[in-house]
Amino acid sequence: MKTSWLDPRTKLVLAFTAAVILVSLDHWLILLVTAGVIWGVTLPLNLLTSWFKFFRGLGPAVFGFFAIAWIAFDLSTALVAGLRLMALGTVFFLFFQTTSPKNLSKALVQMGLPYAFSFVLTVSLEFIPVLTRRAANIRDAQQARGIPVGGGLRAIRYLPALLGPLLIQAFKLADEMAEALEARGFGAAGRRIRQELLLRAVDWGIIWSSLIALATLLFLKYIYH
Amino acid sequence: MLLSFENVSYRYDGMEDWALNEVNLTVAEGEYVLVAGASGSGKSTFCRLATGLAPHFHGGDLQGRVLVDGLDTREVPVSQLFGHVGLVFQNTDAQLFNRTVEEELGFGLEGLGLEPAEIKKRLQWVSGVLKLGPFLDRSPHQLSGGEKQRVVLGAILSLRPRLLLLDEPFAHLDPEGSEVLRSLLNTLRGEGPAVVVVEHRLQEVVADVDRLVLFHQGRLAADGPPRQVLGQELTGYGLNLPALVGLFRNWGLDGPPPLTTMEAIQLLASGPPRRFSQTKRTKPREEGSPPSSLNSNDAPVVEIQDLWFGFPGQPVLKGVDFSLWPGECAAILGRNGSGKTTLIKHLNGLLKPSRGRIMVLGRDTRVTKTHELARRVGFAWQNPNDQLFQTSVREEVLIGPRILKAYDPPWCERLFERFGLGPLLDRSPFRMSEGEKKRVSFATALAAQPELVILDEPTAGQDEPFRRELGGLIRELREEGKTVLLVTHDLEFAAEQAPRWLVLAEGRILADGTPERIMADSRTMAASGLRPTQCFEFFQRLREKPLENAHEDFLA
Repeated sequence: MKTSWLDPRTKLVLAFTAAVILVSLDHWLILLVTAGVIWGVTLPLNLLTSWFKFFRGLGPAVFGFFAIAWIAFDLSTALVAGLRLMALGTVFFLFFQTTSPKNLSKALVQMGLPYAFSFVLTVSLEFIPVLTRRAANIRDAQQARGIPVGGGLRAIRYLPALLGPLLIQAFKLADEMAEALEARGFGAAGRRIRQELLLRAVDWGIIWSSLIALATLLFLKYIYH
Repeated sequence: MLLSFENVSYRYDGMEDWALNEVNLTVAEGEYVLVAGASGSGKSTFCRLATGLAPHFHGGDLQGRVLVDGLDTREVPVSQLFGHVGLVFQNTDAQLFNRTVEEELGFGLEGLGLEPAEIKKRLQWVSGVLKLGPFLDRSPHQLSGGEKQRVVLGAILSLRPRLLLLDEPFAHLDPEGSEVLRSLLNTLRGEGPAVVVVEHRLQEVVADVDRLVLFHQGRLAADGPPRQVLGQELTGYGLNLPALVGLFRNWGLDGPPPLTTMEAIQLLASGPPRRFSQTKRTKPREEGSPPSSLNSNDAPVVEIQDLWFGFPGQPVLKGVDFSLWPGECAAILGRNGSGKTTLIKHLNGLLKPSRGRIMVLGRDTRVTKTHELARRVGFAWQNPNDQLFQTSVREEVLIGPRILKAYDPPWCERLFERFGLGPLLDRSPFRMSEGEKKRVSFATALAAQPELVILDEPTAGQDEPFRRELGGLIRELREEGKTVLLVTHDLEFAAEQAPRWLVLAEGRILADGTPERIMADSRTMAASGLRPTQCFEFFQRLREKPLENAHEDFLA
C-alpha cells in the first residue's frame, strides 16, 4: 500500500470527477489520451508493476467488452467501450492502492456516514485474504478425499463442496466476530477517532478544481450544446 | 470480590438443558485461576456469563446473579463492562478487525473514548509488555498463531481490565508459543488483573495457578488449590490430566500429586515411602510398541528423496529425505511455520516438489493426480469444517469412496460403528458438536481404505476420552498394517503413539529417531522449539540421580 499525501476525501472527489469525465467522453482518441494521462499517474507513484498484476485480472473483461461491442456495433464504439473500462478500472486501482481501508473509513465517518457502516466496509476488505486462505484450505481438504474441485467441468458439479463449507465458515466467522466486537466495546457510546484527517490547502485546491472541471464539462456537454 | 457467581443457572435460547447449573464461584483480586472440564462441561458459557455476553448478546435464560467488579451483568450492558473484564476468545482470526497491529491495540481504547495522549501511553506500555514493537505496522492476519494471540491479548490488556479471561488459549499454539504465553501470564500476575484461564489441557498452566476449578456437565465439580483438587477422584470428568499426575495415579500413589518434575522427584525422595494402594495400581501403558506386522522387507509406503519446495523468494522445504514403512506410526514435529503442512500436502500431490522426488506406494507424485492418490492416502485435517457439505453424515462419509470408486459397504458399516456414528447417520453434519465432527472427519479419511493415514493436529482442542479413543484407533490401524503419520504439537500424545519422530525446523529434517533419543538431544529440541515431556524429564532425572529410598519397582 502506497501512502499518499492527499486526503482520502480529496481522492474520492477526484475519482468521482474522473469517472464522470470518462463516462461522458465518447470519442476514442480523446479517451485514449485521457486514459494515457490517468495511466501515467502510476509511474511517479511506482505502481506500474502492481498495475500490470491488476490488469491481468481486468484485461479479459476489457477485451471481452471490446470484442462484443465490435461485433454488435463498430470498431470505434468498441474502442470507446474497451478504453473506458480500462481507464475506469485504473482510476479505482489508483484510489485503492493509495488509500488504506482505515483512512477511507475515517474519511467516510468524517463525511457524516455512521461509524458502524464504514467499519463494516473496512472489515470486509480486511477479511478478503482470510477467506481466500480458508477457501484454499477447503479446496485442498476436498481434493484430498477425491472430490474434484480443482478445476475443469466436473468442478462445477461439485461446487457445493467448495461453497458450502466456505459459506458456513464465513457465517460462523461473522458470528464470532460480532461477539468479539461486542466484547471489545464496539457498541460503546463516545468512540474517539485518533488522528482525525485534515483537509489542507492543496486538498481544497484539488477539490475545487475538480468540481469546476466537472461543472464546466457538464455545462459544455449538456447545456451549451 | 472481582467476580462472583451467585447460584447461577443459564440456558441458551431454545435449549431445554441448562448449560450452567446452580454455580457458586468467586474470583478475588490478583488471583490466577484455571477452569477445566471436558467438552460441553460449560466452560465457554462461564466465560460468556462473566463478560455479560450472556445474556446480552446470546439472550437465553439467566437465573441467579453474576457480579463483575461489583456490577450486576444483567443490569449493565457489555459496552460498559468491557473496561472491567476482558475475554480472549479461542478463534484469534475473529478478533482481529484492523489493518495494523497498532490499530488493533488501540481499537478498544478508542471505544473507551480516551484522550489520544493516554491511548499512546497505553499502546507503548502494552507493546512493551507483550514484545509487539516490531509488529506494530504489520497486518495482524499475516502473523503466526502465537503472535496473533499476543496481539489479541494486547488489545484486551490495553483496556486495563481488572479481570482477564482466556478461553482455551493454548489449543493451537506450538510448544514455544505456549511457553511464551505461559511466562506472559505469570508476568501479568504480579501486575494487576486477576487471570482466569479456561483450558482442556491442564498441563500448560496448572503448576502456576492458585486455584483449579472443575466443571462437569454444567455443574461446579471441584474448586480449590490444584494439588488438592487433583488428589481427588477425577475419573469420569474427561480431563487431560498432566502427565505426571496421570503417572502417579497409575502407580496408585495417594495424596496430592506432583505438578512439576522437581516436585515428583521430591515426593519420591521424601521417604519413608508413601502409601500406595495395590488395588489402584495399574500397569503403565504399553507405549508405541511396533506391531508384529512391521517388516523391514516390505516396500516403503512413502519414499521422499531430496524434496525441495518454495514460493518465489521463500523456500519452505529444503532437501527433505525420509521413508515410511507399513504399520509404522511417525510424528512430524516442529514450530508453526516450519513446513509441516507443506510437507504433508506433498504426500497426495496437492503440492508438487520443485526439486527431488516423492514415491507414495510406488507412484511418483509428480506425475500422479491427487484424486488417484486420494484412494491410497487418507487425510483428517485439523478443521473438520473444511469438508462438511452434505445433508447427512452418511452421505458425507460415503461421497469420497463413491467418487473414487472404492465404496465397500461392509467396511463403511464397520467405520460407522467404530466411530459411534450409527445413531447420527441421518443427521446433518452441521448440527453436530465439534468432537462429533472430528469423528466424522476421521471416518471420511478412512472411508476409501487408504494405506497411509495422515492426521493433522488430531488432539487440538479435544478432551481426554477423545484422545484415548484416538490412541486406540491408531493402534488398530497399525495392527492392520496401515501407516499413520501424525502432525502435532502435542508431544505427550506423540510420545505415547509414535515410536518414531521426525523433527522439522526451517524446512529441514533436523532429527529422525525415537522420542527418547530426540528428547535427550537438548540441541535439537531447542533448535526446533520443542520441550521434552514431563514424564521423560522425570525419568531422565531419576536415571541420572537414582533415589535411595524409592520403590525400585516404580522405576523398572
